[in-house]
Amino acid sequence: MNKHVKDLAPETTDLSRRSFLVGTAATGLVLGYAASGIDHALAAPASANVEPSVWYSIAPDGLVTVTCGKADMGQHVASTMAQIVAEELGANWKDMRVQLASNDPKFNDPVLGAQITGGSWSTMMNFDAMSRAGAAGRIALTEAAAASMGVPASELVVRASTISHPKSKKSMSFAEVVKSGKATKTFTADDLKAIKLKSADQYTMIGVSVPQLDIPLKVNGTAKYGIDVMLPGMVYGALVTPPVRYGATVKSVDDSAAKKVPGFIKAVTLDDKTTTTTGWVVAVANTYANAKKAAAALKIDYDGGPNAKLSSESLFAEAKRLQGLSDSGEFFVKDGDPNAAFGTAAKVLEAEYTTNINIHAPMEPMNATAEFKGDILHIYSGNQFATRSGAIAAGAAGIDPKFVVMHQMWLGGGFGRRLDADMMVPAVQAAKAVGKPVKVIYTRENDMTMDFSRPLTYQKVKAGVDGDGKLVALSHDVVSAWPTQRWGIPDFLSPSVDKKGPLDAFTVNGSDFFYTVPNHYVRAIKNEMAHNATPSGQLRSVAPGWTFWAVESMVDEIAHATGKDPAQLRVELLDGKGKNDGGAQRLRNTLLAAMGLAGYGTRKLPKGEGMGVACVSSQERATASWTACVAHVAVAPSGEVTVKKLTVATDVGTQVNPDGIRAQVEGAALWGMSLALFEKATLKDGGIEQTNFDSYTPLRMSQLPEVAVNVIANGEKATGVGEPAVTVVAPAIGNAVFNAVGARVRGLPITAEAVKAAMKA
Amino acid sequence: MPNLNINGRNMSVEAANDTPLLWVIREQLQMTGTKFGCGAGLCGACTVHLNGEAVRSCQTSLADAVGKKITTIEGLSAKGEHPLQKAWVAEQVPQCGYCQSGQIMQAAALLSKNTNPTKEEVVAHMDGNLCRCMTYSRIQKAIMRAASDMRTASATGSERRAT
Repeated sequence: MNKHVKDLAPETTDLSRRSFLVGTAATGLVLGYAASGIDHALAAPASANVEPSVWYSIAPDGLVTVTCGKADMGQHVASTMAQIVAEELGANWKDMRVQLASNDPKFNDPVLGAQITGGSWSTMMNFDAMSRAGAAGRIALTEAAAASMGVPASELVVRASTISHPKSKKSMSFAEVVKSGKATKTFTADDLKAIKLKSADQYTMIGVSVPQLDIPLKVNGTAKYGIDVMLPGMVYGALVTPPVRYGATVKSVDDSAAKKVPGFIKAVTLDDKTTTTTGWVVAVANTYANAKKAAAALKIDYDGGPNAKLSSESLFAEAKRLQGLSDSGEFFVKDGDPNAAFGTAAKVLEAEYTTNINIHAPMEPMNATAEFKGDILHIYSGNQFATRSGAIAAGAAGIDPKFVVMHQMWLGGGFGRRLDADMMVPAVQAAKAVGKPVKVIYTRENDMTMDFSRPLTYQKVKAGVDGDGKLVALSHDVVSAWPTQRWGIPDFLSPSVDKKGPLDAFTVNGSDFFYTVPNHYVRAIKNEMAHNATPSGQLRSVAPGWTFWAVESMVDEIAHATGKDPAQLRVELLDGKGKNDGGAQRLRNTLLAAMGLAGYGTRKLPKGEGMGVACVSSQERATASWTACVAHVAVAPSGEVTVKKLTVATDVGTQVNPDGIRAQVEGAALWGMSLALFEKATLKDGGIEQTNFDSYTPLRMSQLPEVAVNVIANGEKATGVGEPAVTVVAPAIGNAVFNAVGARVRGLPITAEAVKAAMKA
Repeated sequence: MPNLNINGRNMSVEAANDTPLLWVIREQLQMTGTKFGCGAGLCGACTVHLNGEAVRSCQTSLADAVGKKITTIEGLSAKGEHPLQKAWVAEQVPQCGYCQSGQIMQAAALLSKNTNPTKEEVVAHMDGNLCRCMTYSRIQKAIMRAASDMRTASATGSERRAT
């Protein structure tokens, strides 16, 4: 169980101790939770100088602007937050607007206590707070309208930004109530808690595919991403990064040729005390084109450092060595005694599963713009973790984080890449060195070779089956770099079951699945060599992207070894006993839905074709959505795999925006397919070999399969959808390949060569 | 100083002849709808029109653009109401949106010549444009919707002219 989720569960959040304020400011009505630490009810704010933490405001023209503290990287989360507010507020969708929050702590996630976007957490963790914020606004507006109309508030009806009194046929728009200045009310924490939220049958907005508020800006070129920021007097920085991913140092910089480039200002060698980067130099010039020319003209001599000889092969070899040691790692799961059970098992299966390094490569290359203005450092960049990234920017500047203002922008793709803060360092240090605002833009080559990548992983899984074909024991060792430990934030680490110290649960999540296995252990083993050589990050879906690859492949292998249908075996394992009660049944139902949609087992497929299934939960057991996939593939005699169709079913409890969910699930499933078949990065001589989209090759339109998505909304709490469908696809494809041609491939990506070799074996 | 004809206006710019058109458009003219993605003609995020043809502005020098009609996403239609832009909203295509200017400009070059493309023609024409959010199926649907709308508009227009 993950400490970071358990400790920060909604019941324990300090949001419950805060007051909610509705007040009149110069700009209209402002509504929000009081800053943390104010435990008592405040007097109703009556003037513009009261600044409660602002979640949304209603202007005198009736427009409702929701401030979103979540990074919007294409999941339309700002629009989703507005939709949840609008439901309870009773606002017309056409009156809703969104803006992106700064790093002011008042915009922190009410559950996580920081500004971080990931884990498919946003909707589930903000649903209740945004609902209550919306409802509090409605109550305040209604009471003010009642006073103005001279009627009892209980007789008023709120709909589409209008408050009406059916008996007298009087009505007031939100705009009119705001202009009246009477809508001031303070809700204590208890008042807020006591608000009766709508039940699902009363929803008029939740569950409706309203148009996403950010989309119009994204079809006419007006959406502003970090790379689009323009400041007066701004100059540009182009990076020169060393041939080694991490650990190199700059011995000397010769800028004599760069000085001949027109517009060249300065070459800045980074002095990065945050240790985020090593050996980086920024060439600063009046334009980006000139900065790039100057960067190319710099002659830099490096010391390659301790990782300069390492390769993917050496990282895998080290992983195997560590896994073989009996005292390696720490226990994430320890139920029963698998080793004893293996001794009495009728059949024992053992397999190694691997995944290679993967690169985020969002379409907007990393960038940041830094400007020192008085005491304040302003950063303009699309970022998923403003709380930490602001601190890194401060560290790079040598100032206190409280003097950093992060200006959030639309993110041209995140996928976990923008949880990191490396781009802050060159922007800040270049701006400091030249005394002007500097925008640093990575080339695609910088972006790929300096990615905080999905780590290379090695997993060993051993399974014991009894005489009745029942799975009685499973041991699972996961060896990888520890991406979250790199953040240096203790709250994001979890205590190990064997009390050997904190472990990085973001390397083993998912392995604590909902199958019932009486003897089960999972060891998290840190590959220190990989950790140092390839500083890793969180890539869309994080650990379940590799743990489910291993688990869901092994379950298939068990089914074939025991003569069972792989889907049927999963249904048996999802018996809902003990700690799995509830979750297991939902996953079982989701699997059955996917099977039904795909026509699994209902017809004989042509030679060389096959179907494979997989079913998964989410990053944490406590934040689970339930997702299953049936992959239908055709395998050529060459080993080449063509995905004919992916059928994905997902149980999300409550859907806020059904069309948005389908878009996320489809995108996630295609990410899963891209990682399964097309994306592979390799380390050689300490550096990432792939530099652009010719050698690192995400899925293109011509490789698009048919994708069928079915969303199950059964009235449970809303859960996240951005990630789970990523993880389910690779094992479903691998299992389908086996079903088609009897070839078991245990390494990602699944290449034609590997399939062909396994066909012969 | 070179003169550029961009979105129907003549604008003088100050940059070396070998400067990629992309950076001239973004930095000097401050039209940031055209995006930088790879700098190598591999992703299509920087797609603009030169005399109506879709080109990668990161691979086009300033000198090559002089004397030609340049169109960017900002100039595709006066009010952002090109049939493709409307279809992109109707199909709710963008996720992060970063590649979509390039996708729309690439698609517009196709539809300007062929308002009745087959799915295969769409895929062949669009395959050089990467979308990391993988919105490809919606892009296809939006192109087909826009093509259909353009055919309807042109049929209606002919009828009007005929009467």
